[in-house]
Amino acid sequence: MTYEEAEKELTQIVEQLERGDAGLDEALKLWERGEELYRFCAAHLEAAEGRIEELSKRVDSARPDG
Amino acid sequence: MKVEPIVYGDRKVYTVAAFNRGVAEWLQRLPTLWVEGEVTDLRRQAGWQTVFFMLKDPENGACLSAAMPRGQFDALRLDLANGERIHVYGRPELWPQKGELRLRALSIERFGIGEHLAALERLKARLAAEGLFAESRKRPLPRLPRRIGLVTGNDAAAKRDVLTAIQSRFPPARVVVAETLVQGQRAAAAMVEALAAICAEPEVDVVVLARGGGGFEDLLPFSDERLVRAVAGCPVPVVTAVGHEQDMPLCDLAADRRASTPTAAGRLVVPDLEELLAGLGRARVALARGTRRTLDRHSQRLAHTHERLRRAPVLLVERRRAALAQKAGRLRALSPRATLDRGYAIVRRDGALVRTSGAVAPGDAISVEVADGAFGARVE
Repeated sequence: MTYEEAEKELTQIVEQLERGDAGLDEALKLWERGEELYRFCAAHLEAAEGRIEELSKRVDSARPDG
Repeated sequence: MKVEPIVYGDRKVYTVAAFNRGVAEWLQRLPTLWVEGEVTDLRRQAGWQTVFFMLKDPENGACLSAAMPRGQFDALRLDLANGERIHVYGRPELWPQKGELRLRALSIERFGIGEHLAALERLKARLAAEGLFAESRKRPLPRLPRRIGLVTGNDAAAKRDVLTAIQSRFPPARVVVAETLVQGQRAAAAMVEALAAICAEPEVDVVVLARGGGGFEDLLPFSDERLVRAVAGCPVPVVTAVGHEQDMPLCDLAADRRASTPTAAGRLVVPDLEELLAGLGRARVALARGTRRTLDRHSQRLAHTHERLRRAPVLLVERRRAALAQKAGRLRALSPRATLDRGYAIVRRDGALVRTSGAVAPGDAISVEVADGAFGARVE
């Protein structure tokens, strides 16, 4: 699952719960799923480490006429 | 000199020299005209009386040899370099010694800004007609790219601006940079190659093509058909930030998004981390609130149902009582008592109803029933 998918599903769950028309069991399941998605997203943001890689050196050296 | 064949019986045969001369003479009938192309393989050597070069069609690579006497070439003071686009005024001729066709140049003009602009307009119209710039082709940018590709020149400013914008807005961003030529004759091909290399990298979800400001000719590679097509055909969305706001190279039209500056491009490709975290926090609060609300609703519904359940037996008795009263009313309306109430009386003799006057004789004892009771009487 990508961050975007998780975020989208979380938004849908929140909207569904805010309408308040879910069944009782369903509401609890949605809430659990929502929490899980929240944790996934938060972990995704925390775990990511900024990185700058240079590809150009490799590209240039791979060019015979570069 | 006449072109005479050698005769072998009934076959006429021409020597190579005669054939070449014949073709050369025939070619001389063709008019003098202007030819447009890129200079390649320019050879101007001190010992040679003639300057040679190739004219290349930038669209499809078709080539034509051209030559000009050195004195004439030098007098033009063009200082031509390979890759430059020129207009050559000349006529076709056959070089008899080699049997090669070439353009005998009488004059050369460098392709000026006016020509460039006109050529750009033509290319723009052609690509637009092909639908390359259509809004429907534009793809949305990913909200959170796994990796960001950056194709840029080695000029520090544009690259630094993009990276600074990305990193200040979204510190965990992962960027892969391909530095390449962005100016000069080889820039377009180099950028096409860099774009392909970046897209071949795993997890690259969006590409930024950035270059700082520059003169009109500096930005020409960004309108090169090869690059424009590569941008349009890129497997992931492309954001361009080329030159200044007023410059509009054709690659901007083919890009999925155009940014006015490298900084703006950087801001376009990543979300704001602070906002993202705040949004996540809000989603979590809303999640709990929504769940609470759903539970409350269910508990209210349950209480309401319970109340109805509790009241159900009472309702049942009341309903029966009402039905009974209604029936009693109808019964009363039908009974003879109602008639007695209106002032009529029932007369009985020996318990039998008296319906006719002949049924009784004077002296008979009868009973009379009225609304509130009965009394005895005697017939006279």
